[in-house]
Amino acid sequence: MRFFLAVLLCFASWPAYGSGNPSPVKATIEQQVAVADTSAFTARSFNERQLGEYRRSPAFIYRDNGVYAGQSLWSRFWRWFWGLFEGITSAPVTGNLFKILFWGLGIAGSIYAFLKLIGMDPIQVFTRKPTGIEVPYEESLENIHEISFDDEIERAAGVQNYRLAVRLLYLSSLKYLSDSGMIHWQNDKTNGAYLQELANTDKKEQFSVLTRQFEYIWYGNFPVQPDAFQEIRGAFKHFTGKK
Amino acid sequence: MEFEQRTDLGQLNAAVERIKNTIGSVVIGQQSMIELLITGILADGHMLIEGVPGVAKTLTAKLIARCIDARYSRIQFTPDLMPSDVLGTSVFNPGNASFEFKKGPVFGNIILVDEINRAPAKTQSALFEVMEERQVTIDGKTYVMEEPFIVLATQNPVEQEGTYRLPEAQLDRFLFKIEVKYPSLEEETAILHRQHQQHTSVQVGEIAPVLTSGEIYAYRKQVKAFHVEPNILSFVAKITYETRNNKSLFLGGSPRASLAIVNGAKAMAAIRGRDFVTPDDVIAVAPAVLRHRIILTPDKEMEGAAPDDVILQIINKLEVPR
Repeated sequence: MRFFLAVLLCFASWPAYGSGNPSPVKATIEQQVAVADTSAFTARSFNERQLGEYRRSPAFIYRDNGVYAGQSLWSRFWRWFWGLFEGITSAPVTGNLFKILFWGLGIAGSIYAFLKLIGMDPIQVFTRKPTGIEVPYEESLENIHEISFDDEIERAAGVQNYRLAVRLLYLSSLKYLSDSGMIHWQNDKTNGAYLQELANTDKKEQFSVLTRQFEYIWYGNFPVQPDAFQEIRGAFKHFTGKK
Repeated sequence: MEFEQRTDLGQLNAAVERIKNTIGSVVIGQQSMIELLITGILADGHMLIEGVPGVAKTLTAKLIARCIDARYSRIQFTPDLMPSDVLGTSVFNPGNASFEFKKGPVFGNIILVDEINRAPAKTQSALFEVMEERQVTIDGKTYVMEEPFIVLATQNPVEQEGTYRLPEAQLDRFLFKIEVKYPSLEEETAILHRQHQQHTSVQVGEIAPVLTSGEIYAYRKQVKAFHVEPNILSFVAKITYETRNNKSLFLGGSPRASLAIVNGAKAMAAIRGRDFVTPDDVIAVAPAVLRHRIILTPDKEMEGAAPDDVILQIINKLEVPR
Protein backbone atom coordinates (compact mmCIF):
# COMPACT_ATOMS: atom_id res chain seq x y z
CA MET A 1 0.00 0.00 0.00
CA ARG A 2 2.79 2.38 0.90
CA PHE A 3 4.57 1.55 -2.33
CA PHE A 4 1.41 2.23 -4.31
CA LEU A 5 0.98 5.61 -2.62
CA ALA A 6 4.60 6.53 -3.28
CA VAL A 7 4.22 5.72 -7.00
CA LEU A 8 0.98 7.65 -7.17
CA LEU A 9 2.57 10.71 -5.60
CA CYS A 10 5.52 10.54 -8.00
CA PHE A 11 3.23 10.48 -11.00
CA ALA A 12 0.94 13.10 -9.60
CA SER A 13 3.85 15.52 -9.31
CA TRP A 14 5.09 14.89 -12.88
CA PRO A 15 2.96 17.60 -14.59
CA ALA A 16 4.50 20.16 -12.28
CA TYR A 17 7.90 19.38 -13.72
CA GLY A 18 6.54 19.32 -17.24
CA SER A 19 4.91 22.74 -17.23
CA GLY A 20 7.47 24.53 -15.10
CA ASN A 21 10.10 25.22 -17.81
CA PRO A 22 9.76 28.79 -19.09
CA SER A 23 10.62 29.45 -22.71
CA PRO A 24 13.82 31.54 -23.06
CA VAL A 25 13.26 35.33 -23.64
CA LYS A 26 15.49 37.20 -25.93
CA ALA A 27 16.17 40.64 -24.39
CA THR A 28 16.74 43.59 -26.74
CA ILE A 29 18.35 46.76 -25.49
CA GLU A 30 17.56 49.92 -27.46
CA GLN A 31 19.27 53.24 -27.02
CA GLN A 32 17.04 55.89 -25.31
CA VAL A 33 17.40 59.65 -26.10
CA ALA A 34 15.95 62.39 -23.77
CA VAL A 35 13.98 65.13 -25.62
CA ALA A 36 13.10 68.47 -23.95
CA ASP A 37 9.35 69.45 -23.79
CA THR A 38 9.03 72.91 -25.34
CA SER A 39 5.21 73.12 -25.72
CA ALA A 40 3.41 76.28 -24.43
CA PHE A 41 1.17 76.15 -21.26
CA THR A 42 -1.47 78.43 -19.67
CA ALA A 43 -1.48 79.02 -15.90
CA ARG A 44 -5.01 78.77 -14.36
CA SER A 45 -6.24 80.17 -11.04
CA PHE A 46 -9.25 79.60 -8.77
CA ASN A 47 -12.27 81.82 -9.03
CA GLU A 48 -12.21 83.69 -5.76
CA ARG A 49 -15.87 84.65 -5.94
CA GLN A 50 -16.89 81.07 -6.52
CA LEU A 51 -14.69 79.93 -3.64
CA GLY A 52 -16.31 82.49 -1.36
CA GLU A 53 -19.72 81.17 -2.32
CA TYR A 54 -18.64 77.64 -1.56
CA ARG A 55 -17.22 78.71 1.78
CA ARG A 56 -20.48 80.33 2.75
CA SER A 57 -22.56 77.43 1.54
CA PRO A 58 -23.97 75.41 4.51
CA ALA A 59 -23.26 72.21 2.62
CA PHE A 60 -19.53 72.76 3.04
CA ILE A 61 -19.49 74.02 6.60
CA TYR A 62 -18.77 70.70 8.29
CA ARG A 63 -18.77 72.07 11.82
CA ASP A 64 -22.19 73.49 11.46
CA ASN A 65 -25.45 71.84 12.26
CA GLY A 66 -26.25 71.78 8.62
CA VAL A 67 -24.16 68.66 8.14
CA TYR A 68 -24.92 67.02 11.50
CA ALA A 69 -28.56 67.96 11.57
CA GLY A 70 -29.58 64.28 11.43
CA GLN A 71 -27.49 63.34 14.49
CA SER A 72 -28.92 62.79 17.96
CA LEU A 73 -28.33 65.17 20.86
CA TRP A 74 -26.11 62.54 22.48
CA SER A 75 -23.84 62.40 19.42
CA ARG A 76 -23.74 66.14 19.22
CA PHE A 77 -22.82 66.35 22.89
CA TRP A 78 -19.88 64.01 22.41
CA ARG A 79 -18.78 65.88 19.27
CA TRP A 80 -18.85 69.08 21.27
CA PHE A 81 -17.15 67.42 24.19
CA TRP A 82 -14.25 66.02 22.20
CA GLY A 83 -14.02 69.37 20.41
CA LEU A 84 -13.07 70.94 23.76
CA PHE A 85 -10.00 68.70 23.89
CA GLU A 86 -9.28 68.83 20.20
CA GLY A 87 -5.73 69.89 20.76
CA ILE A 88 -5.02 66.78 22.84
CA THR A 89 -7.23 64.23 21.17
CA SER A 90 -6.14 65.04 17.64
CA ALA A 91 -2.53 64.12 18.44
CA PRO A 92 -1.83 60.62 17.12
CA VAL A 93 -0.53 58.94 20.28
CA THR A 94 -1.62 61.07 23.24
CA GLY A 95 -5.06 61.48 21.70
CA ASN A 96 -5.81 57.75 21.94
CA LEU A 97 -4.31 57.53 25.42
CA PHE A 98 -6.46 60.40 26.54
CA LYS A 99 -9.59 58.71 25.16
CA ILE A 100 -8.73 55.38 26.83
CA LEU A 101 -8.10 57.17 30.13
CA PHE A 102 -11.34 59.04 29.84
CA TRP A 103 -13.38 55.90 29.08
CA GLY A 104 -11.64 54.03 31.92
CA LEU A 105 -12.56 56.73 34.39
CA GLY A 106 -16.08 56.79 33.04
CA ILE A 107 -16.52 52.99 33.46
CA ALA A 108 -15.01 53.04 36.98
CA GLY A 109 -17.32 55.90 37.93
CA SER A 110 -20.33 54.01 36.59
CA ILE A 111 -19.41 50.85 38.57
CA TYR A 112 -18.91 52.96 41.70
CA ALA A 113 -22.28 54.64 41.23
CA PHE A 114 -24.00 51.29 40.58
CA LEU A 115 -22.50 49.67 43.71
CA LYS A 116 -23.47 52.69 45.77
CA LEU A 117 -26.97 52.51 44.34
CA ILE A 118 -27.45 48.89 45.44
CA GLY A 119 -26.09 49.69 48.88
CA MET A 120 -22.66 48.05 48.71
CA ASP A 121 -19.40 49.55 49.80
CA PRO A 122 -17.37 49.77 46.56
CA ILE A 123 -14.05 49.92 48.40
CA GLN A 124 -14.78 46.73 50.35
CA VAL A 125 -15.70 44.78 47.21
CA PHE A 126 -12.19 45.12 45.87
CA THR A 127 -10.17 45.09 49.07
CA ARG A 128 -11.90 41.95 50.50
CA LYS A 129 -11.45 43.28 54.02
CA PRO A 130 -14.21 42.39 56.48
CA THR A 131 -16.48 45.32 56.67
CA GLY A 132 -17.98 46.99 59.67
CA ILE A 133 -21.65 46.17 59.75
CA GLU A 134 -24.06 48.82 60.75
CA VAL A 135 -26.70 47.68 63.16
CA PRO A 136 -29.74 49.84 62.59
CA TYR A 137 -31.00 50.25 66.12
CA GLU A 138 -30.10 51.89 69.34
CA GLU A 139 -30.82 50.79 72.85
CA SER A 140 -32.06 53.25 75.39
CA LEU A 141 -29.88 52.64 78.39
CA GLU A 142 -29.68 53.45 82.01
CA ASN A 143 -26.86 55.93 82.39
CA ILE A 144 -24.81 55.28 85.49
CA HIS A 145 -23.66 58.88 85.46
CA GLU A 146 -27.18 60.15 85.98
CA ILE A 147 -28.18 57.96 88.92
CA SER A 148 -28.12 59.36 92.44
CA PHE A 149 -26.69 56.18 93.91
CA ASP A 150 -26.66 57.09 97.58
CA ASP A 151 -30.37 57.98 97.57
CA GLU A 152 -31.37 54.97 95.48
CA ILE A 153 -29.36 52.52 97.60
CA GLU A 154 -30.88 53.94 100.78
CA ARG A 155 -34.34 53.64 99.30
CA ALA A 156 -33.80 50.02 98.18
CA ALA A 157 -32.27 49.02 101.52
CA GLY A 158 -35.12 50.81 103.31
CA VAL A 159 -37.69 48.53 101.70
CA GLN A 160 -35.38 45.52 102.22
CA ASN A 161 -34.88 45.08 98.50
CA TYR A 162 -31.26 44.08 99.08
CA ARG A 163 -30.94 42.49 95.68
CA LEU A 164 -31.62 45.81 93.98
CA ALA A 165 -29.41 47.58 96.50
CA VAL A 166 -26.48 45.28 95.61
CA ARG A 167 -27.08 45.95 91.94
CA LEU A 168 -26.93 49.71 92.60
CA LEU A 169 -23.79 49.27 94.66
CA TYR A 170 -22.19 47.42 91.76
CA LEU A 171 -23.23 50.07 89.26
CA SER A 172 -21.81 52.73 91.56
CA SER A 173 -18.51 50.86 91.66
CA LEU A 174 -18.49 50.82 87.85
CA LYS A 175 -19.11 54.58 87.91
CA TYR A 176 -16.21 54.97 90.31
CA LEU A 177 -13.91 52.98 88.02
CA SER A 178 -15.11 54.92 84.99
CA ASP A 179 -14.62 58.29 86.71
CA SER A 180 -11.15 57.20 87.80
CA GLY A 181 -10.30 56.35 84.20
CA MET A 182 -9.60 52.70 85.04
CA ILE A 183 -12.32 51.38 82.76
CA HIS A 184 -14.05 52.69 79.69
CA TRP A 185 -17.73 52.46 80.56
CA GLN A 186 -19.94 51.09 77.80
CA ASN A 187 -23.24 49.42 78.49
CA ASP A 188 -22.57 46.65 75.97
CA LYS A 189 -19.56 45.43 77.96
CA THR A 190 -19.87 42.49 80.30
CA ASN A 191 -18.46 42.33 83.80
CA GLY A 192 -15.79 40.00 82.46
CA ALA A 193 -14.73 42.66 79.99
CA TYR A 194 -14.30 45.20 82.78
CA LEU A 195 -12.27 42.71 84.76
CA GLN A 196 -9.97 42.30 81.78
CA GLU A 197 -9.59 46.07 81.56
CA LEU A 198 -8.44 46.06 85.17
CA ALA A 199 -5.99 43.23 84.53
CA ASN A 200 -2.87 45.23 85.38
CA THR A 201 -4.20 47.23 88.31
CA ASP A 202 -4.29 46.59 92.05
CA LYS A 203 -8.08 46.96 91.96
CA LYS A 204 -8.56 43.78 89.96
CA GLU A 205 -8.58 41.36 92.86
CA GLN A 206 -11.03 43.43 94.89
CA PHE A 207 -13.31 44.09 91.94
CA SER A 208 -13.29 40.40 91.05
CA VAL A 209 -14.70 39.57 94.51
CA LEU A 210 -17.35 42.29 94.23
CA THR A 211 -18.29 41.12 90.75
CA ARG A 212 -18.72 37.58 92.03
CA GLN A 213 -20.98 38.81 94.82
CA PHE A 214 -23.04 40.90 92.43
CA GLU A 215 -23.38 38.04 89.93
CA TYR A 216 -24.50 35.53 92.53
CA ILE A 217 -27.09 37.94 93.92
CA TRP A 218 -28.31 39.60 90.73
CA TYR A 219 -28.00 36.86 88.09
CA GLY A 220 -28.09 33.86 90.44
CA ASN A 221 -30.95 35.20 92.54
CA PHE A 222 -29.22 34.16 95.75
CA PRO A 223 -31.03 35.55 98.81
CA VAL A 224 -29.35 38.35 100.80
CA GLN A 225 -29.95 38.73 104.51
CA PRO A 226 -29.63 42.15 106.23
CA ASP A 227 -26.33 41.21 107.93
CA ALA A 228 -24.87 39.94 104.70
CA PHE A 229 -26.00 43.10 102.93
CA GLN A 230 -24.22 45.31 105.46
CA GLU A 231 -21.09 43.24 104.92
CA ILE A 232 -21.36 43.59 101.15
CA ARG A 233 -22.09 47.29 101.43
CA GLY A 234 -18.98 47.72 103.55
CA ALA A 235 -16.89 45.95 100.93
CA PHE A 236 -18.24 48.20 98.16
CA LYS A 237 -17.65 51.32 100.26
CA HIS A 238 -14.12 50.21 100.92
CA PHE A 239 -13.60 49.67 97.22
CA THR A 240 -14.86 53.10 96.23
CA GLY A 241 -13.16 54.81 99.20
CA LYS A 242 -16.41 56.14 100.65
CA LYS A 243 -17.03 56.44 104.36
CA MET B 1 -19.31 36.85 101.81
CA GLU B 2 -19.41 33.28 100.57
CA PHE B 3 -22.45 31.76 98.92
CA GLU B 4 -23.73 28.33 99.74
CA GLN B 5 -23.94 26.30 96.53
CA ARG B 6 -27.45 25.23 95.58
CA THR B 7 -26.12 22.60 93.19
CA ASP B 8 -23.18 20.32 93.80
CA LEU B 9 -21.03 20.82 90.74
CA GLY B 10 -17.94 19.21 92.21
CA GLN B 11 -18.21 15.92 90.31
CA LEU B 12 -19.16 17.63 87.09
CA ASN B 13 -16.24 20.02 87.25
CA ALA B 14 -13.86 17.19 88.10
CA ALA B 15 -15.12 15.23 85.09
CA VAL B 16 -14.67 18.27 82.84
CA GLU B 17 -11.11 18.66 84.07
CA ARG B 18 -10.41 14.98 83.42
CA ILE B 19 -11.72 15.28 79.85
CA LYS B 20 -9.63 18.39 79.26
CA ASN B 21 -6.52 16.68 80.59
CA THR B 22 -7.16 13.53 78.57
CA ILE B 23 -7.56 15.45 75.32
CA GLY B 24 -4.67 17.71 76.26
CA SER B 25 -2.42 14.65 76.53
CA VAL B 26 -2.82 14.14 72.77
CA VAL B 27 -3.90 17.46 71.29
CA ILE B 28 -1.94 20.63 71.94
CA GLY B 29 -3.92 23.87 72.03
CA GLN B 30 -7.46 24.16 70.63
CA GLN B 31 -8.73 24.99 74.12
CA SER B 32 -11.83 26.84 72.95
CA MET B 33 -12.82 23.92 70.67
CA ILE B 34 -12.46 21.46 73.56
CA GLU B 35 -14.44 23.70 75.92
CA LEU B 36 -17.25 24.11 73.39
CA LEU B 37 -17.33 20.36 72.72
CA ILE B 38 -17.75 19.60 76.42
CA THR B 39 -20.36 22.37 76.66
CA GLY B 40 -22.25 20.83 73.75
CA ILE B 41 -22.25 17.40 75.35
CA LEU B 42 -23.65 18.86 78.59
CA ALA B 43 -26.25 20.83 76.63
CA ASP B 44 -27.41 17.67 74.84
CA GLY B 45 -26.55 18.93 71.38
CA HIS B 46 -24.92 17.84 68.16
CA MET B 47 -21.80 19.62 67.03
CA LEU B 48 -20.31 20.53 63.69
CA ILE B 49 -16.57 21.08 63.67
CA GLU B 50 -15.23 23.04 60.72
CA GLY B 51 -11.66 23.70 59.80
CA VAL B 52 -9.09 23.29 57.07
CA PRO B 53 -7.48 19.86 56.77
CA GLY B 54 -4.86 19.06 59.38
CA VAL B 55 -6.02 20.98 62.44
CA ALA B 56 -6.99 17.92 64.53
CA LYS B 57 -10.75 18.09 64.02
CA THR B 58 -11.30 14.35 63.63
CA LEU B 59 -8.70 13.50 66.24
CA THR B 60 -10.37 15.72 68.85
CA ALA B 61 -13.81 14.37 67.99
CA LYS B 62 -12.49 10.81 68.34
CA LEU B 63 -10.90 11.68 71.68
CA ILE B 64 -14.13 13.19 72.98
CA ALA B 65 -15.97 10.07 71.90
CA ARG B 66 -13.33 7.94 73.64
CA CYS B 67 -13.75 9.89 76.87
CA ILE B 68 -17.34 8.71 77.11
CA ASP B 69 -18.07 5.13 77.89
CA ALA B 70 -20.73 4.66 75.24
CA ARG B 71 -21.27 2.97 71.87
CA TYR B 72 -19.22 4.85 69.30
CA SER B 73 -19.52 4.57 65.56
CA ARG B 74 -17.93 6.42 62.72
CA ILE B 75 -19.36 7.16 59.30
CA GLN B 76 -17.08 8.48 56.59
CA PHE B 77 -19.28 10.58 54.34
CA THR B 78 -18.44 10.15 50.67
CA PRO B 79 -20.15 11.42 47.51
CA ASP B 80 -21.62 7.96 46.75
CA LEU B 81 -22.95 7.27 50.25
CA MET B 82 -26.65 6.33 50.33
CA PRO B 83 -29.19 7.05 53.12
CA SER B 84 -29.51 3.29 53.72
CA ASP B 85 -25.74 3.13 54.35
CA VAL B 86 -26.32 5.46 57.29
CA LEU B 87 -29.67 4.35 58.67
CA GLY B 88 -29.75 0.68 57.79
CA THR B 89 -31.84 -1.39 55.45
CA SER B 90 -34.29 -4.32 55.39
CA VAL B 91 -32.71 -7.55 54.23
CA PHE B 92 -34.61 -10.64 53.15
CA ASN B 93 -34.02 -13.62 55.42
CA PRO B 94 -34.69 -16.83 53.45
CA GLY B 95 -34.77 -18.82 56.70
CA ASN B 96 -38.07 -17.40 57.85
CA ALA B 97 -39.03 -15.85 54.49
CA SER B 98 -39.30 -12.35 55.92
CA PHE B 99 -37.46 -9.01 55.83
CA GLU B 100 -35.25 -8.13 58.77
CA PHE B 101 -34.00 -4.66 59.53
CA LYS B 102 -30.22 -4.40 59.67
CA LYS B 103 -29.32 -1.34 61.73
CA GLY B 104 -26.91 1.15 60.17
CA PRO B 105 -23.99 2.89 61.89
CA VAL B 106 -26.21 5.71 63.06
CA PHE B 107 -27.48 3.39 65.79
CA GLY B 108 -24.99 4.29 68.46
CA ASN B 109 -24.44 6.81 71.21
CA ILE B 110 -21.65 8.89 69.81
CA ILE B 111 -21.66 9.14 66.04
CA LEU B 112 -18.64 10.65 64.38
CA VAL B 113 -19.64 11.80 60.91
CA ASP B 114 -16.36 12.57 59.23
CA GLU B 115 -16.29 15.02 56.32
CA ILE B 116 -20.06 15.41 56.47
CA ASN B 117 -20.21 17.86 53.58
CA ARG B 118 -18.73 15.40 51.09
CA ALA B 119 -22.09 13.64 50.74
CA PRO B 120 -24.91 15.18 48.69
CA ALA B 121 -28.18 16.55 50.11
CA LYS B 122 -29.98 13.22 49.56
CA THR B 123 -27.71 11.50 52.08
CA GLN B 124 -27.77 14.46 54.44
CA SER B 125 -31.54 14.29 54.67
CA ALA B 126 -31.21 10.79 56.17
CA LEU B 127 -29.93 12.51 59.32
CA PHE B 128 -32.81 14.97 59.69
CA GLU B 129 -35.15 12.81 61.74
CA VAL B 130 -32.51 11.10 63.83
CA MET B 131 -30.75 14.35 64.75
CA GLU B 132 -33.88 16.22 65.77
CA GLU B 133 -36.21 13.54 67.06
CA ARG B 134 -33.63 10.96 68.10
CA GLN B 135 -35.46 8.27 66.20
CA VAL B 136 -35.38 6.52 62.81
CA THR B 137 -38.52 5.55 60.92
CA ILE B 138 -38.04 2.85 58.29
CA ASP B 139 -40.69 0.70 56.62
CA GLY B 140 -43.31 2.22 58.90
CA LYS B 141 -41.47 1.24 62.07
CA THR B 142 -39.88 3.74 64.44
CA TYR B 143 -36.63 2.97 66.22
CA VAL B 144 -35.80 5.23 69.16
CA MET B 145 -32.16 6.06 69.79
CA GLU B 146 -30.51 5.29 73.08
CA GLU B 147 -29.39 8.16 75.30
CA PRO B 148 -26.97 9.85 75.00
CA PHE B 149 -27.16 10.41 71.27
CA ILE B 150 -24.55 12.83 70.04
CA VAL B 151 -23.57 13.54 66.44
CA LEU B 152 -20.08 14.98 66.10
CA ALA B 153 -19.55 15.99 62.50
CA THR B 154 -16.44 17.38 60.88
CA GLN B 155 -16.26 19.30 57.65
CA ASN B 156 -13.88 21.25 55.51
CA PRO B 157 -14.85 24.81 54.59
CA VAL B 158 -17.33 24.81 51.73
CA GLU B 159 -14.87 26.63 49.48
CA GLN B 160 -12.73 23.49 49.37
CA GLU B 161 -12.84 21.11 46.42
CA GLY B 162 -15.40 18.28 46.48
CA THR B 163 -17.64 19.67 49.19
CA TYR B 164 -21.37 20.41 49.22
CA ARG B 165 -23.18 23.08 51.16
CA LEU B 166 -25.21 21.48 53.96
CA PRO B 167 -28.98 22.12 53.85
CA GLU B 168 -30.11 24.89 56.20
CA ALA B 169 -32.56 22.48 57.85
CA GLN B 170 -29.69 20.22 58.78
CA LEU B 171 -27.41 23.03 59.95
CA ASP B 172 -30.16 24.19 62.30
CA ARG B 173 -30.03 20.77 63.97
CA PHE B 174 -26.47 21.31 65.14
CA LEU B 175 -26.24 23.04 68.49
CA PHE B 176 -22.81 24.50 67.77
CA LYS B 177 -20.65 25.05 64.78
CA ILE B 178 -17.14 25.11 66.15
CA GLU B 179 -14.53 26.75 63.98
CA VAL B 180 -11.06 25.33 64.41
CA LYS B 181 -8.26 27.73 63.71
CA TYR B 182 -4.61 27.08 63.05
CA PRO B 183 -2.51 26.68 66.21
CA SER B 184 -0.41 29.58 67.42
CA LEU B 185 3.32 29.61 66.76
CA GLU B 186 4.05 28.37 70.28
CA GLU B 187 1.49 25.59 69.99
CA GLU B 188 2.82 24.51 66.62
CA THR B 189 6.33 24.44 68.01
CA ALA B 190 5.11 22.33 70.93
CA ILE B 191 3.40 19.92 68.47
CA LEU B 192 6.68 19.50 66.61
CA HIS B 193 8.62 19.00 69.83
CA ARG B 194 6.19 16.33 70.97
CA GLN B 195 6.40 14.50 67.65
CA HIS B 196 10.16 14.86 67.49
CA GLN B 197 10.69 13.52 70.98
CA GLN B 198 8.18 10.75 70.30
CA HIS B 199 6.07 11.72 73.24
CA THR B 200 2.94 10.82 71.32
CA SER B 201 2.86 7.53 73.07
CA VAL B 202 -0.71 8.23 74.16
CA GLN B 203 -2.71 6.80 71.27
CA VAL B 204 -6.41 7.31 70.78
CA GLY B 205 -7.04 3.64 71.38
CA GLU B 206 -5.36 3.83 74.80
CA ILE B 207 -7.65 6.56 76.11
CA ALA B 208 -9.76 5.29 78.96
CA PRO B 209 -13.33 6.60 79.31
CA VAL B 210 -13.81 9.21 82.02
CA LEU B 211 -17.59 9.57 81.83
CA THR B 212 -20.36 7.02 81.66
CA SER B 213 -23.67 7.45 79.87
CA GLY B 214 -25.38 7.55 83.24
CA GLU B 215 -23.16 10.38 84.46
CA ILE B 216 -23.84 12.38 81.32
CA TYR B 217 -27.56 11.91 81.83
CA ALA B 218 -27.31 13.07 85.45
CA TYR B 219 -25.16 16.12 84.61
CA ARG B 220 -27.52 17.12 81.83
CA LYS B 221 -30.43 16.96 84.21
CA GLN B 222 -28.52 19.16 86.66
CA VAL B 223 -27.63 21.69 83.97
CA LYS B 224 -31.18 21.87 82.66
CA ALA B 225 -32.39 23.03 86.08
CA PHE B 226 -29.97 25.97 86.27
CA HIS B 227 -31.33 29.41 87.05
CA VAL B 228 -31.66 31.96 84.25
CA GLU B 229 -32.81 35.46 85.05
CA PRO B 230 -35.68 36.83 82.93
CA ASN B 231 -33.54 39.76 81.77
CA ILE B 232 -30.95 37.30 80.48
CA LEU B 233 -33.65 35.46 78.56
CA SER B 234 -34.68 38.81 77.06
CA PHE B 235 -31.05 39.43 76.15
CA VAL B 236 -30.90 36.09 74.30
CA ALA B 237 -34.21 36.78 72.55
CA LYS B 238 -32.97 40.21 71.48
CA ILE B 239 -29.80 38.74 69.99
CA THR B 240 -31.74 36.23 67.89
CA TYR B 241 -34.43 38.74 67.00
CA GLU B 242 -31.88 41.22 65.74
CA THR B 243 -30.37 38.60 63.44
CA ARG B 244 -33.76 38.52 61.69
CA ASN B 245 -33.89 42.28 61.26
CA ASN B 246 -30.31 42.98 60.37
CA LYS B 247 -29.82 44.31 56.87
CA SER B 248 -26.54 42.42 56.52
CA LEU B 249 -28.33 39.09 56.93
CA PHE B 250 -30.44 37.23 54.41
CA LEU B 251 -31.53 34.63 56.98
CA GLY B 252 -31.62 35.10 60.73
CA GLY B 253 -31.70 32.72 63.65
CA SER B 254 -34.75 30.59 64.42
CA PRO B 255 -36.41 30.18 67.85
CA ARG B 256 -34.43 26.94 68.02
CA ALA B 257 -31.34 29.14 67.98
CA SER B 258 -32.59 31.07 71.03
CA LEU B 259 -33.21 27.80 72.86
CA ALA B 260 -29.77 26.58 71.86
CA ILE B 261 -28.13 29.75 73.23
CA VAL B 262 -29.90 29.34 76.57
CA ASN B 263 -29.04 25.63 76.82
CA GLY B 264 -25.46 26.27 75.73
CA ALA B 265 -25.09 29.15 78.20
CA LYS B 266 -26.33 26.92 81.04
CA ALA B 267 -23.74 24.28 80.16
CA MET B 268 -21.05 26.95 79.89
CA ALA B 269 -22.02 28.21 83.36
CA ALA B 270 -21.66 24.63 84.68
CA ILE B 271 -18.15 24.38 83.26
CA ARG B 272 -17.34 27.70 84.91
CA GLY B 273 -18.60 26.41 88.26
CA ARG B 274 -21.92 28.25 88.55
CA ASP B 275 -25.54 27.11 88.57
CA PHE B 276 -26.86 30.30 86.98
CA VAL B 277 -26.24 32.05 83.70
CA THR B 278 -24.46 35.37 83.28
CA PRO B 279 -24.25 37.51 80.12
CA ASP B 280 -20.65 36.32 79.73
CA ASP B 281 -21.93 32.75 79.27
CA VAL B 282 -24.42 33.90 76.65
CA ILE B 283 -21.77 35.82 74.74
CA ALA B 284 -19.38 32.86 74.95
CA VAL B 285 -21.77 30.50 73.14
CA ALA B 286 -23.82 32.85 70.92
CA PRO B 287 -21.37 32.91 67.96
CA ALA B 288 -21.07 29.10 67.94
CA VAL B 289 -24.85 28.76 68.02
CA LEU B 290 -25.62 31.38 65.39
CA ARG B 291 -22.80 31.28 62.85
CA HIS B 292 -24.20 28.32 60.89
CA ARG B 293 -27.82 29.38 61.23
CA ILE B 294 -27.53 32.82 59.69
CA ILE B 295 -26.88 33.62 56.04
CA LEU B 296 -25.24 36.83 54.93
CA THR B 297 -26.71 38.88 52.11
CA PRO B 298 -24.85 38.34 48.80
CA ASP B 299 -23.36 41.82 48.87
CA LYS B 300 -21.97 41.31 52.37
CA GLU B 301 -20.49 37.99 51.27
CA MET B 302 -18.86 39.74 48.34
CA GLU B 303 -17.45 42.33 50.70
CA GLY B 304 -15.78 39.50 52.64
CA ALA B 305 -17.81 39.85 55.84
CA ALA B 306 -18.05 36.76 58.06
CA PRO B 307 -21.12 35.66 60.08
CA ASP B 308 -19.12 36.17 63.29
CA ASP B 309 -18.56 39.83 62.41
CA VAL B 310 -22.31 40.41 62.19
CA ILE B 311 -23.02 38.44 65.37
CA LEU B 312 -20.44 40.41 67.34
CA GLN B 313 -21.72 43.70 65.96
CA ILE B 314 -25.23 42.78 67.05
CA ILE B 315 -24.09 41.73 70.52
CA ASN B 316 -21.97 44.85 70.89
CA LYS B 317 -24.96 47.05 70.16
CA LEU B 318 -27.13 45.47 72.81
CA GLU B 319 -27.18 46.52 76.43
CA VAL B 320 -25.78 43.86 78.73
CA PRO B 321 -28.44 43.14 81.37
CA ARG B 322 -27.05 44.36 84.65
